[in-house]
Amino acid sequence: MLHDLIIGMAGSGGDGIVSAGESLISASAKEGYFAILTKSFGSQIRGGESSCRLRVSTTPVLNPGGTLDVAVVLNWEDFLRFGGELPVGPDTVVIYESKTNVAPDAVPLKIKPAIVLSVPLEEMALKAAGTQLAKNNIVLGLLAGWFGLARQGILDGIYKKFAKKGDEVLAGNERSFALGVEYAEKNPLPQDRHLAPPAAGKVASKILTDGNEMCGAAAIFAGCKFFGGYPITPATEIMQYLQKEIYKYGGSVLQAEDEIAGVAAAVGASFAGIKAMTATSGPGLSLKTEVLGLASVAELPLVCINVQRGGPSTGMPTKREQADLFASAFSAHGDTVRPILAPIGVFDCFDMVVEAFNIAEHYQTPVIVLSDQEIAQRKEIVDPVDTTRFKLVERLRPNAQELENYTRFKYTDSGVSPISHPGLKGGAYLAAGIEHNEKGAPTANGEVHAKMNDKRVNKLAPLKQRRDLFEIEGDVDAAIGLIAWGSVAGIVIEAVRKARAEGLKVKSLVPKLVYPVAEDIYREFFASLQHCLVVEQSHQGQLHKIIRMWVDVPKHFTSLAKSGANPIAPEDLVAEIRAMAASKA
Amino acid sequence: MSDETTCSCPTPETYTSKDFRSTLKPIWCPGCGDYGVVTAVYRALAAIGRPPHEIAFISGIGCSSRIPGYTTAYGFNTVHGRALPIAQGIKMASPDLLVLVAGGDGDGFSIGGGHVPHAIRRNLDLTYIVMDNQIYGLTKGQLSPTSPRGAKTSSSVYGSIEEPVNPLLYTLAYGAGFVAQGVPADLDGLAKLIEEAIRYPGFSFVNIQSPCVTYGEAETQVKAQRLRMKKLSDLGHDPTHRIRAMELASEYGTSLYTGVFYRNPAPAPTYDSYIKTMQQELASEARPLDCLLPLVT
Repeated sequence: MLHDLIIGMAGSGGDGIVSAGESLISASAKEGYFAILTKSFGSQIRGGESSCRLRVSTTPVLNPGGTLDVAVVLNWEDFLRFGGELPVGPDTVVIYESKTNVAPDAVPLKIKPAIVLSVPLEEMALKAAGTQLAKNNIVLGLLAGWFGLARQGILDGIYKKFAKKGDEVLAGNERSFALGVEYAEKNPLPQDRHLAPPAAGKVASKILTDGNEMCGAAAIFAGCKFFGGYPITPATEIMQYLQKEIYKYGGSVLQAEDEIAGVAAAVGASFAGIKAMTATSGPGLSLKTEVLGLASVAELPLVCINVQRGGPSTGMPTKREQADLFASAFSAHGDTVRPILAPIGVFDCFDMVVEAFNIAEHYQTPVIVLSDQEIAQRKEIVDPVDTTRFKLVERLRPNAQELENYTRFKYTDSGVSPISHPGLKGGAYLAAGIEHNEKGAPTANGEVHAKMNDKRVNKLAPLKQRRDLFEIEGDVDAAIGLIAWGSVAGIVIEAVRKARAEGLKVKSLVPKLVYPVAEDIYREFFASLQHCLVVEQSHQGQLHKIIRMWVDVPKHFTSLAKSGANPIAPEDLVAEIRAMAASKA
Repeated sequence: MSDETTCSCPTPETYTSKDFRSTLKPIWCPGCGDYGVVTAVYRALAAIGRPPHEIAFISGIGCSSRIPGYTTAYGFNTVHGRALPIAQGIKMASPDLLVLVAGGDGDGFSIGGGHVPHAIRRNLDLTYIVMDNQIYGLTKGQLSPTSPRGAKTSSSVYGSIEEPVNPLLYTLAYGAGFVAQGVPADLDGLAKLIEEAIRYPGFSFVNIQSPCVTYGEAETQVKAQRLRMKKLSDLGHDPTHRIRAMELASEYGTSLYTGVFYRNPAPAPTYDSYIKTMQQELASEARPLDCLLPLVT
C-alpha cells in the first residue's frame, strides 16, 4: 500500500481535466486525506492546454512532489507542452487515450515507463453517457479503481455537480464513473498501487483552500479593515475574496485605478488609524515602490502581499518563481529596511499574514509578504487554523499625558513612537515623505536625518532575534545543511527527511523572516557546516546572495537556483545531499 | 439649502482663523499667491466650525503641497501626484472626517492626472483644491501642464509647443458635482468658495489661480488678477447649468472667471454612503473569526 501518490493529468481546455482534479481533491478532503492540487494552463483565457497535478497523502503534504506516480494523457501534444511540470519516470503508470493512435511501446516520452496503459476513454464516455464530455468521469473511475482513491467522495461530488442538470445527465456521469471503475477492476495493474486509508480513526474535518484565500481570511482575522488594490495575476483572488467578505466585518475594499492608487489608498487608511493592506504581483510591486517608501518614512503600518510570478516585466504571469526577493528588499530609494515574510505553503499563509500585521502595527512599518503563484493558486487540504495561537498586536497609541505636547516621531529607546490618527484630539501632526524632526516639521538638517535613519532602521533590530520565524530541522551537528524559503522550503524539508531516513546526517533551515537577515541565527546554523546548499526557484539565487552580504558563510556555500515554472523535485535534492556527503571526505 | 448635510458636527463650536494657523513658517516666496490661499482656507474652516483634529488635510509634492503643515489639522504631505488616492483611503477608513486635498497643477494634472477622473466618478465626499500657477516653481521654473502654448520656461526656451490642460473643463467633463475657480486677489470670495466646496456633499473641485511670484508671468500676478477677474455671479451665470458652465470653462487661459461654474442641484449618493450601507446590510453574514473558512463536509 502507498502512503503518498502523485497524479498528473493533461488535456485540452474542454477535456475537464482540471475539474477532475478538483473533484479528486474535494473527495480526498472529505475522507480525511491531505493533498495539494496545482493547476497549470497555457495563458489563454479559454481553450488551449490545461493540466493539474494532485499529490494525495495520509500525512500533511509539504509540496506538490516531483516525478509523477501516475500520468493521465488525454492527448500527447498537450501533455508534452507542460514538459518538466509533469515529469514522467521509470516507475510512473502512464494512462492515455487510445484514440491518440500511439502504440504503448511507442509513447513519445524520453523515459520508458514500466506500465503504459492505452484506454479508450472517449469511446467509453460515449457508451456510458452518450457524450465525450464525460471522459473525465471515466478517468476518475479508473483512478478510483486502480489506486483506491476516495470512491464514495467522488460519487458524492458527481451528484453535487450534476443533480441540478437533470436525471439523465446525472445518470450518464454516474455510469461513466462506474464504467471506469469496472475497467480498472477487470484490468488490474501488475502490482498493487492502492493508497492506504487516512490515519486510522482520525477523519477530522479539513479545510480545502488556496493561498490567496488563506491570505484574505488571515487579513480579516488580523483586523484588516481596508484593502486597496488592482487586478493582477496571480494575486487578484486576494482582492476578490476581501471584496466579498470584508464589508461583513466593517471594512471596505477599493479596486483602484492603478497599482499606485491601490497602495496609496491603503497608506491613507493606515494614516487614518486602521489596519490596511494591498496585494499585487511583480509588475505591481515595481509600481508601488515609491509609496512603500512613503510608508517607511511616515512610519505607517502597512501589509503588502506580493504574489511572485515569473519575471522580469510581464514574464510568465501564470508560473511560479522566487525572483522578487531583491526587488522586495532593495527597491526603495534611500536607506530603508522593510521586513519580508514568506509563507512555505497554503497552511502557512494564515500565520504569515497575521504575523505581517503584527509586525507592521508594532514597528509602524510596511511589511512585504512574499507568496508565489504556486502557493497562491494551488488547492491544499489543511487542518482548521487554531486561532488561539495568535495574539493580535495593535499600534502604540499616545496616552493622555503624551497628547498634552504630542511629539509624533519622538526618539525612544525602542525607536517606536506613539502614533495618533485623525479624529484624536490633541494628536494632530504633519505626516510627510519629507524628512522631519520629532515633531513632524520638515527639515533638511543632516544630524536630524541621521538620527531619524537610525530610528527607522534600528527599531526593526529585535526582529532578527525572532527564532520562531525560522524552522530548523535535522541533525544539529550535521556537516551538510540546506536552506530554502517560500514554496521551495517544503521540498527541502522533505528531501532532508528522506536523506536522514537513508542514514545521512543533514539539517535544514527555513527562514520565514527572509529580510532583514538574522545574522545570529544563520551563524549558529553554519557553525557545524562544511557544505551549505541554498535552494531557490530563481535564476540568480537571490537569498544565497543576500545572506552573503551579512554573514560569513561556510567553506562550501553553494546555490541551487532554478528559473521558475518547473518544480524542483525532492528526489533531485536527495541526490545532491548524497553527493555532498560523498565529497565530504 | 441642503448645505448642512455634509458636516454633521454634533456640538457646533466657534472657531476663528487663528485656530487653524500652525506655528510653522511657510517656505513660500514673499508675494506668492499661496499665502492668500492658506488664509482663505483658515477662514473657510473657521466658518465650517469643525475642530482641527477632525480635519485631514492631504497634499502631494510641490510648493503648494506644503500647505497642510501650515494648518493645525492632521496633515499628510505625501508623494508627488498621489494625494487623491491617499485621501480616498483616509475618507473610506474614517468617513466622518472632513477631508481636504491640495496640490499644484503639476501634481494634479500631470503626474497625478490619472487619479482625477477616478476620484470624481467615485464621488467620495472630499474637497480638492488645486493651486494652479502654470509653472513648476519648486524645481525652478519648468513647463507645467497648464502653461499656455508659447510659454517660455527653463524647459521650453523656444516657447511651449503643446496645448495646456484645462482643469475646469476636464473636471466638468469627468462629471464633478461641484467646480469652482477663485483667486487670492479676492480673498473673501475665495474663502466663500472653499467653504461652499466643503459643504457640497460629494467630490468638489476648486481651481485657484495662485500666481508664482518668481517664475510666473506679469499678467498672472495678484495685482493683474484684480483687473482681469470677472465674477460669474455678476455675469448672471446659473451654476446648475452644466453645459453653460462648460462653455465658460472653455475660456480658461483667456478669461479669468471666478465663482461657482457648476453645482449639481441634485447631488448623487457618495461612495462613502454606499460603504456604510453595505457594511450594515452584510454585518449579519459575518462568520466567527476562529473559522472564517468553511470546513469540508
